[in-house]
Amino acid sequence: MFKPQIRILTAALALAALPLMAAAQSAAPIRIGVPVGLSGANSVVAPSVVQSAELAIEEINAAGGVLGRKLVLEVADDASGAVGAQKAFDSLVFQKKVDVLISMETSAARNAGLPIVARGKVPYIYTSFYEGRSCSPWMYVNAWVPEQQVPPVVDYFMKTKNAKTIFLVGSDYSFGRGMLEFTKKYAEGKGAKIVGEEYLPMDGSDWTAVISKIRAAKPDALVTSTAGGAPNVTLTKQLRAAGINIPYGNLAVDEGTAKGMGADAQGIYISASYVTGIDSPANKKFLAALTKKFGADLKTPNDLSVPEYEAVYAYKAAVEKAKSTDSDKVLKALGEVSVDGPRGRISMNQQHHAPLTMYLAQVQADGGVKVIDSFKDVAVGAQCPNLK
Amino acid sequence: MDLLLDILTTAAILYIVSAGLLLIFGVMKIINFAHGAFLTVGAYASLVAARIGLSPLLGLAFALLVGALIGMLIERVVVRPLYARPLDAILATWGLAIVIGQVITLVFGREVQMLPSPVNGTFAWPGGEYSAYRLLLVGAAALLGTALALLLTRTRIGLVTRAVIMNEQLARGLGIHAGMVRFCTFAAGAGIGSLAGALITPLSSIDPNMGVPWLVNAFMLVMVSGVSMVSLLVATLVFGAAQVLLSTYVSPVLGGLAIAVLAAVTLRIRPKGFSRD
Repeated sequence: MFKPQIRILTAALALAALPLMAAAQSAAPIRIGVPVGLSGANSVVAPSVVQSAELAIEEINAAGGVLGRKLVLEVADDASGAVGAQKAFDSLVFQKKVDVLISMETSAARNAGLPIVARGKVPYIYTSFYEGRSCSPWMYVNAWVPEQQVPPVVDYFMKTKNAKTIFLVGSDYSFGRGMLEFTKKYAEGKGAKIVGEEYLPMDGSDWTAVISKIRAAKPDALVTSTAGGAPNVTLTKQLRAAGINIPYGNLAVDEGTAKGMGADAQGIYISASYVTGIDSPANKKFLAALTKKFGADLKTPNDLSVPEYEAVYAYKAAVEKAKSTDSDKVLKALGEVSVDGPRGRISMNQQHHAPLTMYLAQVQADGGVKVIDSFKDVAVGAQCPNLK
Repeated sequence: MDLLLDILTTAAILYIVSAGLLLIFGVMKIINFAHGAFLTVGAYASLVAARIGLSPLLGLAFALLVGALIGMLIERVVVRPLYARPLDAILATWGLAIVIGQVITLVFGREVQMLPSPVNGTFAWPGGEYSAYRLLLVGAAALLGTALALLLTRTRIGLVTRAVIMNEQLARGLGIHAGMVRFCTFAAGAGIGSLAGALITPLSSIDPNMGVPWLVNAFMLVMVSGVSMVSLLVATLVFGAAQVLLSTYVSPVLGGLAIAVLAAVTLRIRPKGFSRD
């Protein structure tokens, strides 16, 4: 009798965050829709994504827009879930009549939005890393999939740390299970033994039994893929409190969270297509522009916000190549253009996904992230064989 | 050995988290749905304490104090007019939880906050080792339980409180100021809830919703325990054991449901739950 009330309570808390709406007016501008989780699980990272989009649009408009037309941003809150995404996509596609959708979202939100994208015939650039194999002729992806993110961590543990047994821990949802399923297949293919695989519900915070199993299994290395935020923090804290100090690869922690976690995060290995420390002129220019535009309000750019920035430029390149905002022409061009951004040169030319340079990094005692190795243009593997 | 310690420490954590709720339920017969929010308040209080440079022990005292003060305010403003309407009190405290959660969000932001753990690593003995902080929590639970038991059975305050629990009208007839007892109990319950929040932060994340999952388990435990601190102890041990065993031998997903399901089953078979009378 009381459980539903608690659900309502959490829902009410989540809904209370007010959606931001960008003002928009200009002569026949090109409308860019950004459905994003301003409330709910993604609320921690969503502001940085919106900042990325704002910066890209401001830069492009300052340089004369696209085909002489200004870009206009339309942000809608998808509440990080399927129900919110249906509303957000619906309002952006059919009421705001956006020309393109560019955003990072949870997998549930993306899956709920795809049918609406197909119905509205609007190109959609998905800018979030995810568990892979989501295919739609309307969607391009410029962030990593397991085939790109997992191998650096597993290879490093097996070769450099001589790990023969690996334990997997995750949150029980599509990203958590998808990542670890791939990790298992990949590690076993390389000859490692998976000595345990445990999941906790997404809101679970008591890892007692899981940690006892890890201690009993005595693995050489640990790979985790929890939901971002609280589960990641509780698991890491409880692992540290239990004195588990084996090599620990975290597939779901971003640089900013790792920094905040302080001493508890020290030594964690992460694998990402973007870290703030990338030593390239493009990245330095990007960071300087962000700092100039947002100053003290700047949210640290990350592996979810940088692809958003690059995707806006990819759309610009595609429209210029197609010489039109016509969906079919733009969709064709999106797979052909390349963009030079903070992460280097990105082309979404492999089955609607993009080969990416991946960085293996380790969290340091001061919370900084040190790049240990980089892997150039890692291929996406078989994501959508039916798409070119 | 690890399994036994898992059970013992889980029970200890459950006891710490539920004690404040039980105290309020026992004396006032209302379910305080803001208990989860008090846990959150305690966690943030310990965060503030650490930021202004207090030691972890002083941080606990600070959390207790902040929780008790907020409890006093809430009792006076929100709960007191609703003693005769327990159902409305549930609604009011539930709403209060939302308000507290939002205020915390406004002040500290929605993101997860970090606080270094006061005790790191494991406590080792010949043949094994175990998380030092979890062992420490067993001590904290024992201390809390003993303190509450002594307070209720060995002091005049406890005597008066028990009189109100047993028969409020008779107690009033004897000249006991029942309103005062309620006021103090609510403040104490809120303070203990807040203290519990501060105690679990080294194992939990600090975010505006952190209290919610704990509230569910605490609520279920209080439902089966009735008004007795002793039956709460038994309930946390039995249900904590069930949770750990299910998580270890079946699946952690099922383990997470164990307390809620077992509590429902227990109440179905024996409406009094673990309480004797």
